Amino acid sequence: MGRYHFVFPRWSNLLLPAVIVFALTAPPYVVLMVAWGFSPKTTDVGYMPTQPVPFSHAVHAGELGIDCRYCHNTVEYSAMAAIPPTQTCMNCHLQVHPNSEKLEPLFKSYETGLPVEWIRVHDLPDYAYFNHAAHINRGVSCVECHGRIDTMEVVHQVKTLSMKWCLDCHREPEPHLRNPDLVTQLEWGWAMTDAERLAEGTKWSEINQLQPSQDCSTCHR
Amino acid sequence: MSSLGNPKGNGQAYWRSLDEVADTPEFRSFMHREFPSGASEMLEGSDRRHFLRIMGASMALAGMGVGGCRRWPEEKIVPYANRPAGTMPGEARYYASMLELGGAASGILVTSYDGRPTKIEGNTAHPTGHGSATAFTQASILDLYDPDRGRSIIDRLENPKEPRPSNWSAFQDWATPHFEGVATAQGAGLWFLSEATYSPSVQRLQRAIRKRFPKATWVTWEPLADTAAAAGLNHAFSGDWRTQHDLSHADVIVSFDCDFLGQHPEELQLSKQWAKGRRPKMDQGHAHMNRVFVAEPTLTITGCSADERYALTPHAITVLAARVAAKVTGDSSIAAPFESSGIQTPQVDAIVADLKSHAGSSVLMAGSRQPRFVHHLCALMNQELGNAGKTVSYVKLPPKPMTSGSIQELAGAMKAGQVKTLVMIGGNPAYDSPAELEFAARMKHVPTAIHLSRDDNETSQLCSWHLNRTHPLEAWSDGRAWDGTYSIRQPLILPLFEGRSTIEFLAMIAGEKTTDGFDIVRSTEAEVTGATTEATAFSPRWRSLLHDGLLKDSAWQTDTPRVDAGSVGRGAEATAKAMSGDTGTVAVFAGDYSVYDGRFANNGWLQELPDPITKLTWDNAVIIGPAHARTLGVQTGDMVRVKVGSASVESAALVETGQAPGVITLPLGYGRRFEGRVSYNSGFDFYPLRNSDAMWSVPAKVEKISGSYVLARTQDHWSMDKVSGQGIEQRLPTIFREADVTTWEKDPHFAGSLGHTVHSLSLWDDTLQFEGARFKWGMSIDLSACTGCGACVVACQAENNIPIVGKDQVRMGREMSWLRIDRYFRFKETSPGVFSTDLPERVAIQPMTCQMCENAPCEQVCPVAATVHSTDGLNVMVYNRCVGTRYCSNNCPYKVRRFNYFDYFRRDPLRETGMLQVQPSYYVRRQSGGDPLRRMQFNPEVTVRMRGVMEKCTFCTQRIEAAKIKAKNAWVKKPQAEKAEGIRLTIPDGTVTPACAQTCATEAIVFGDLMDADSQVSKAHRDGRSYELLGELNVKPRNRYLARVYNAVEGERHPEDFHHGHGGHSTGSDSSHPAEGNHH
Repeated sequence: MGRYHFVFPRWSNLLLPAVIVFALTAPPYVVLMVAWGFSPKTTDVGYMPTQPVPFSHAVHAGELGIDCRYCHNTVEYSAMAAIPPTQTCMNCHLQVHPNSEKLEPLFKSYETGLPVEWIRVHDLPDYAYFNHAAHINRGVSCVECHGRIDTMEVVHQVKTLSMKWCLDCHREPEPHLRNPDLVTQLEWGWAMTDAERLAEGTKWSEINQLQPSQDCSTCHR
Repeated sequence: MSSLGNPKGNGQAYWRSLDEVADTPEFRSFMHREFPSGASEMLEGSDRRHFLRIMGASMALAGMGVGGCRRWPEEKIVPYANRPAGTMPGEARYYASMLELGGAASGILVTSYDGRPTKIEGNTAHPTGHGSATAFTQASILDLYDPDRGRSIIDRLENPKEPRPSNWSAFQDWATPHFEGVATAQGAGLWFLSEATYSPSVQRLQRAIRKRFPKATWVTWEPLADTAAAAGLNHAFSGDWRTQHDLSHADVIVSFDCDFLGQHPEELQLSKQWAKGRRPKMDQGHAHMNRVFVAEPTLTITGCSADERYALTPHAITVLAARVAAKVTGDSSIAAPFESSGIQTPQVDAIVADLKSHAGSSVLMAGSRQPRFVHHLCALMNQELGNAGKTVSYVKLPPKPMTSGSIQELAGAMKAGQVKTLVMIGGNPAYDSPAELEFAARMKHVPTAIHLSRDDNETSQLCSWHLNRTHPLEAWSDGRAWDGTYSIRQPLILPLFEGRSTIEFLAMIAGEKTTDGFDIVRSTEAEVTGATTEATAFSPRWRSLLHDGLLKDSAWQTDTPRVDAGSVGRGAEATAKAMSGDTGTVAVFAGDYSVYDGRFANNGWLQELPDPITKLTWDNAVIIGPAHARTLGVQTGDMVRVKVGSASVESAALVETGQAPGVITLPLGYGRRFEGRVSYNSGFDFYPLRNSDAMWSVPAKVEKISGSYVLARTQDHWSMDKVSGQGIEQRLPTIFREADVTTWEKDPHFAGSLGHTVHSLSLWDDTLQFEGARFKWGMSIDLSACTGCGACVVACQAENNIPIVGKDQVRMGREMSWLRIDRYFRFKETSPGVFSTDLPERVAIQPMTCQMCENAPCEQVCPVAATVHSTDGLNVMVYNRCVGTRYCSNNCPYKVRRFNYFDYFRRDPLRETGMLQVQPSYYVRRQSGGDPLRRMQFNPEVTVRMRGVMEKCTFCTQRIEAAKIKAKNAWVKKPQAEKAEGIRLTIPDGTVTPACAQTCATEAIVFGDLMDADSQVSKAHRDGRSYELLGELNVKPRNRYLARVYNAVEGERHPEDFHHGHGGHSTGSDSSHPAEGNHH
């Protein structure tokens, strides 16, 4: 002991490299974790809220084969693909399952005239102005953004809907295009090879002279 | 005025303001700073330490905010339970409707999103505006969402001091027995006081009221009504007549103080017709355009656009009219009684010569400030010149259904205690009726007074009942346009605060079976159209009426009766006698360009709309000419006392050029006592100086008193120059280019020779920037046609969710309007470097907005690429990228970029004190910040900007995108064979119209695709008058101005402009002409 009583022990020499290693790795780690944690992939993809009525797209669009536009009937003409009014549901449900407990909120809405409050799944920021009609008419299928809705029991978000994801398609739209008449056939093209799919998309891009805009003012006003 | 060194010494200079000519320190400071003083500082009372405290707190809050795992809160989608057929959620729908101001209906088209009206525009099918709308009409939408609107019926029956909120059924319980009692007395003591209206439904109900209450009297009161015109026409033709003008064929227009471009019920139509004759045309080798003579005591919009303007006192204008009439008619007895007055009048012979050489294609008009004699004279002269039936015709007004009286008779009856029940419909007589009637005081003698009004205003507070009136967009009604066109008003939204409309209320009083507005209007419609049955809601007749908003060809029959010339001589003598003597100061009253008679005082858009002449916002002031102000020792902002008889008002003074000698102007409509968040504490009330015998001009005394008042004027803001104050004197003539029509005749391309040479060499290939462009958007602004009325400014504000900022912020130069109207004066140089500022030689008016430079200086300095170019050629602003450096605004030569210093729309009004205090309380109040009602007006197609971002004109990019998507959707659906032929996707000219161009009555603003050589805008860019603003900077603006051409009696006023260039390198040609504009 003696005079060495106040000397740092030998192992403390390891502290310096440890601090250096920590200083070098910690900031990138924090940055990466934050980037990952805040990225739309983490925060938005897979978002699956519980809706007031357990509506199954798998049953209606998949099994029964009802066209998307039967309910979302403004999609070809308007920026918004409107959520159907209660009246549309009741066209069938006056006869089909008229006493179902699950449909209780729907029947209540039909009687009172007060709307069913659905929870928005695909939520763009207010400064981004997406237009459904512009995409549907040019042969961008529902499936490109919403995924295989016709197989979903509960709707959830499949794509990030981030600006990069939008621009990827605007820069290279061909793999995502098809005959505008087939946009609501979600299963179309899944059996094709990539080359076949690309050839089909390129064909329709040329026919309709598509030039997706990358100007800021296209979506931000 | 002090002199100003002019290095070039060539005498031509436009001045933005009198301060500029005087070169005051204030002006210097504005010129040398990018943002006006204080603009970049925190609010008063917020020092740096306070700022750090706020920042610390916000960071702490931000830390707490990141709790959830999703980035934004859960959002609900609420569809209709039963969606009405034909509606699409989120899509705008347009409905034709009608607004009535001063008894004249104007056709409007209302934009509605999901049942929420957001914007008022002109109805293209309506004869009054043909798609244009005034600032008042457009701003009315804000009144619908005014947080200060009356929210309930107020009962002051028992105790006037303790108003109690009530409801309609309580009122009905009280009213039914009350009016039954009045009915048994045959309606004796029942008086109605109403705003002017020609609604056929009101007239039908008036007949029902006469049946129930035969002794009731109906009084119409409009403080700004042109009663002299009605009286003059009564003298000329006997009966109730109204003049209809057609200026499209008028080559010579003489206005005796008639502000027909600024404040006239026919304003939109007259502006449109005037502009038609204003654009110079070459006709068999001779230039052709109309000539406008204006005599007026104070500078008006019409005076600014006149070819010859005479600043005369109201009396001198009367003498001028008499002298012109004597020579036109050859009856010297008309002018004889005025010869002893010693009043000098200019250019009588020139006016007469012009009138005589254009017999049948000239017109004389008289304004409300002129006595009935002058109106009578104008009718006589128009007849003698053969104008009647061509440029002027008359309509006979329908007979009044009830015994009618004047407000003076009503006040007399009130004093005598004969008024038992007073029913008031709209209006605000306690504030705006003639002072000597002491209306407010006499209200005490009225046992029962009922006021149907939009807000609980000055008059309501003296009544037993304040009843909530619906906003025009909330109820059914009808009306007659100025020409008599039967127009229908349909509601866009249910009454927000359980109001009732005028006709519903009158039907209730009349004891009608139905008090439902819809049924009343349909019954009237059957009567008007002469149909045997009432239209059902689905009959084609009714549907087409609703669709158009009017009944075609339902205007009143025009006529040209003979003028009774016999009584003119007597009129001259009587008028000369009445005006004898007084030669001192004359005060003239004027309706305000922002608040009209005071009814728009609580409208933030209009309060912040700069006055077209004085550029004053949020206030009014006594306007005094420079020479007059010098003798009084008064400067702008000093307090003065104006005395008329025994009444006096203390007010701020504003020194402005263009006043006739000895004339002071008192704009009406401010100084409201109503505690609205916008109207309170703004301006001065001049109604106490206005008496029945002198409604428009009166001898007055002005004296300076101690004290001063801060006025917020925008005139020196956003001074447009690249190197601050240096060289501004030389540059302004090239910024605003104009010439006489004789010069234009010799050289239609004169505008090019006024500018500088552009060195348009480029280091890179300019075409690369717009590679693959399908459109090339451009704009053109015709300075010959612009009147400076300000309708476009309000249109822009409504369309683009632009906030108002409040008086203090305007003073700091933080106003947000994307479109401003610059106003310059040209003064005569009396000796080198000295200018006579009493009267402007010319007034230049120039709308200024983003010029969409192809070579944009703002883009080059943005460190974060927040402002970039689109392939269509728009200079776009990306709010989300903006970090608020404001370099772009610094580098903008036109000064058209606006910075959000605050979050004007969302500001939480509760944080007035404490650590999170953000601003003084009054400011929050003016903003109506955070009020959900105000937010209902927002255009959902435009982002509401946050604090800290820059913004500017977008050429209404939301409208461009909507048109592009619609056109391409239709194109894609074409058969494949057609598409294979390679037909270019085009948008037909006129499909895309920005809000400003849409509302412009004179069509001065034209917008379109420059790739289409036949588009209106391409043609305008090829016009010889077209020039680029500051083209010498090589910024390549997409907006070009068309130089103004005037038609002075003595020809070119400033030949020196065309003898030499400015700035040293004029070559006589303007290489800035667009490539496709090959004009030689």
